[in-house]
Amino acid sequence: MLALAFLQWWYGPGWFRAWNSLGARLKRTYYGFSVPQLSRTLFAPWRRIVSLGGGSLGERMRAMVDNLVSRCVGLVVRLLTLFAAAVIIVWWIVIAIGQLVIWPLVPFAAIILIVRGVS
Amino acid sequence: MNFNPKSIRVRKAKLGLRLGKYGRPLGITITLAIGLGAIALYLKGQHRLAEILAVLALISGAKDLWLRWDIASLKADDPAEGKPLDGILEANLAARLPWPASPQAVWAACLPDWRASFMLVRLGLHPEIIEPNLSTETGDSEAVWAQALALAKTHDAQDINSGLVVAAILMSEAKLKPVLNQLKLKNADIEVVYAWLERLLDLERIELPLYGGIGRDWASGFTPSLDRFAGNLSKQIQSGGHHFGSLTESSAVTQLITTLSSGGAGVAVIGAPGAGKTSTVYALAQRLIEGDGGSLAYRQIYSLSASLIISAAQQQGDLERVFMTILSEAIASGNIILALDEAQLFFNQGTGSLDLGQILLPLVEGRRLPLILTLNPTDWQHLIATYPSLASALTPIMLSEPDEAHVIDILADTALGIEGKSHVIVQYEALIESYRLAGRYLTEEAYPGRAIKLLELAANHPNGKLVTATSVQQAIEGSMGVKVVQAQGPESNLLLNLEDRIHERMINQTRAVSVVSSALRRARAGVANPKRPLGSFLFLGPTGVGKTELARSLAAIYYGGEANMTRLDLSEYQQPADIERLLEAGSPFLTAVRQQPFCVVLLDEIEKAHPNLLNLLLQLLDEGKLTDTKGRVVSFKDAIVIATSNAGADEIRQHIEAGEDLESFEDAFTNNLIQSGSFKPELLNRFDEIVLFRPLNEVELAQVVKLLINEVNKTLANQNITVNLTDEAVGALVKEGYDPRLGARPMRRMVQRRVEDAVASQILKGTAKTGDTITLGINEVKV
Repeated sequence: MLALAFLQWWYGPGWFRAWNSLGARLKRTYYGFSVPQLSRTLFAPWRRIVSLGGGSLGERMRAMVDNLVSRCVGLVVRLLTLFAAAVIIVWWIVIAIGQLVIWPLVPFAAIILIVRGVS
Repeated sequence: MNFNPKSIRVRKAKLGLRLGKYGRPLGITITLAIGLGAIALYLKGQHRLAEILAVLALISGAKDLWLRWDIASLKADDPAEGKPLDGILEANLAARLPWPASPQAVWAACLPDWRASFMLVRLGLHPEIIEPNLSTETGDSEAVWAQALALAKTHDAQDINSGLVVAAILMSEAKLKPVLNQLKLKNADIEVVYAWLERLLDLERIELPLYGGIGRDWASGFTPSLDRFAGNLSKQIQSGGHHFGSLTESSAVTQLITTLSSGGAGVAVIGAPGAGKTSTVYALAQRLIEGDGGSLAYRQIYSLSASLIISAAQQQGDLERVFMTILSEAIASGNIILALDEAQLFFNQGTGSLDLGQILLPLVEGRRLPLILTLNPTDWQHLIATYPSLASALTPIMLSEPDEAHVIDILADTALGIEGKSHVIVQYEALIESYRLAGRYLTEEAYPGRAIKLLELAANHPNGKLVTATSVQQAIEGSMGVKVVQAQGPESNLLLNLEDRIHERMINQTRAVSVVSSALRRARAGVANPKRPLGSFLFLGPTGVGKTELARSLAAIYYGGEANMTRLDLSEYQQPADIERLLEAGSPFLTAVRQQPFCVVLLDEIEKAHPNLLNLLLQLLDEGKLTDTKGRVVSFKDAIVIATSNAGADEIRQHIEAGEDLESFEDAFTNNLIQSGSFKPELLNRFDEIVLFRPLNEVELAQVVKLLINEVNKTLANQNITVNLTDEAVGALVKEGYDPRLGARPMRRMVQRRVEDAVASQILKGTAKTGDTITLGINEVKV
């Protein structure tokens, strides 16, 4: 009776639960790495470190360079973070594909076990 | 109700119950062991055996997933009528429930669950009291299930859990009514406690928020000065220090978000102390840091500390410089909302104080930084008067006091935090008592703050590990010096024998002593009107008959000392301007009552007061409170108010000299006082009792002399000398000291002059030594 209940769950609510669980992990990775904020502020200066510059052309040029550096630093850090997030998300997708293939076969593992045992 | 004990869900629930706390970890350990075994065998080259173990590990892993995702968290159907019970019961309860089940059996199935314990402990109920009163007939359970379904519907419960069934049993079992009545528990109370449990369950279901992730603040600036001079409320929320539950959904928080996100210059959150201004700002911080609030999402709220800024200022001008630096950082950071808690501290004018109105004005008008100011209504009015432009640029949000039900809910949620800190359990009766006593005694604050404050104090007076109504009473007794815990032991005895004790100091005036004693007994037994003073009396009679002495005796015997008598000589309040003096903030009279509300208030010579003051007295007697010029309420609800007057003293004397009893002319006398215009009828009607004091006769004056001699002996006790007076000596003193106009009042002076002088002479001459008893005859006490 309970074995049947297990099978019912495995191909029903369990299957959905597994997908939901993966979905939640993807979501946590996506938001945990601040993907929306980092994408939106990709070219923003790092921690708002900006120079206002002065009146002379030299000072304004220096400020422009400083700001460019700040933006470059921000871009690099954000890109690296987004890359890390992407790697983890890809990893979860791979897991999802594996799950898609393996999940339905797991109950049959018992049969495989018996067959292998006999042979 | 249908309950199928052999349904799949019940079987699964029973499996979960059997596995208990250690079943799943054991299963996972076995799976890991098999998996590791497979790896080990594969490395050893035994591939075939390794394959078998790997497949076994896979099956075991699937079983672990099943136990974790299905068996250990069996969901129930939404409780509704018509659905089978096995589908809507919480899993563990479904596993434990026998079928068919009587209410007693249902009760037994609920008891092992923490939710049932929650209900019982909070309500102060012992299972042993309940169980014998429950029906053992299985048919009687229908009413329980019907009640449970009704409760589930009302409270939007996700399942029928043990706490809910306990509530349903308590509410539906007729035999329990007397038990619950005895504990003063009504069905509404049981529902409130269940709602408390339901909110706790909701809290458990909340997923941990992500707070914006690791890169949330990378586009915002650094804020070193702000970090030094302000507290980051958002960070406190994030670190798990606070949770503001339903307050985050309050209209005030929504209004804050709407105003600030639509480009509002700033908001003034206005409310009386304790109304929840600071908590509202925290609740806003929680909503924003959890990603809510539209364009304000993930903004951080910093609460600026006026004292830190002032302490950092070394020289003149430093304050402004520090403040400008902080503001510049906040603006440059781009994700800050600045809160000025108790904002009046930032607008104090004078040397060494902080007055930042001029600096803030352009900032607010330019809408460069979202700003929240919290103020009480008086300070808000002050800000309007001092900086009208700044005040008009701010959007005011008024916080009103929540109703009783809401305050109890807030207290219940706060209690969980108090329990964590103090390692106690707060009972429901403590919440109710905190609400009641905070309303009565902590009048300078608003709800819910004052009730929370009292509940926090009560955590220091646990009864075992429980915070009960008595804990709250003890807390208020400790902090206010009042008496609210039910009188027992020595205090009960004192109350029951109060007349005798007073008569140890007072001669005659039995009726006056009796009415005052009765009022005190009524008050301490909880049968007096709680909205008025404990007792209010008008003592009428000639001078020197014991009116003031009775008030003094009461204070000395019951209130712990004559210092607990607050006296107001109303002959000093004859002009209209005097009333303002009485009501001004810091007036000695109001301060004394505020500091020691459990006292005797003596209003001497009431007939001499200005009529406006007597109108004020009407409010005092009617509502048990006075309000000072700053709007602060002073409660007289724990005081015995005694007013004295000599009005009609001659008339009383004439009646007594004519041999009449007090009772025979009392009513006519009172009417005469009204007709002669001495007192307004509305004033006389406000007193609980009008008591006439009669002049003392010679026999009573002789008793007064003996009492005064007793006082002399108390003073001489240090030297171990005792003084006695012969009867002739007493008679002589009475004759000489008696003045029909002044009653017994000259008697003290007489004793002082004659007896004390005679004793002093004997001591100085050496004729009276330690251990001696001096007997003074008529010759010694006569000049």
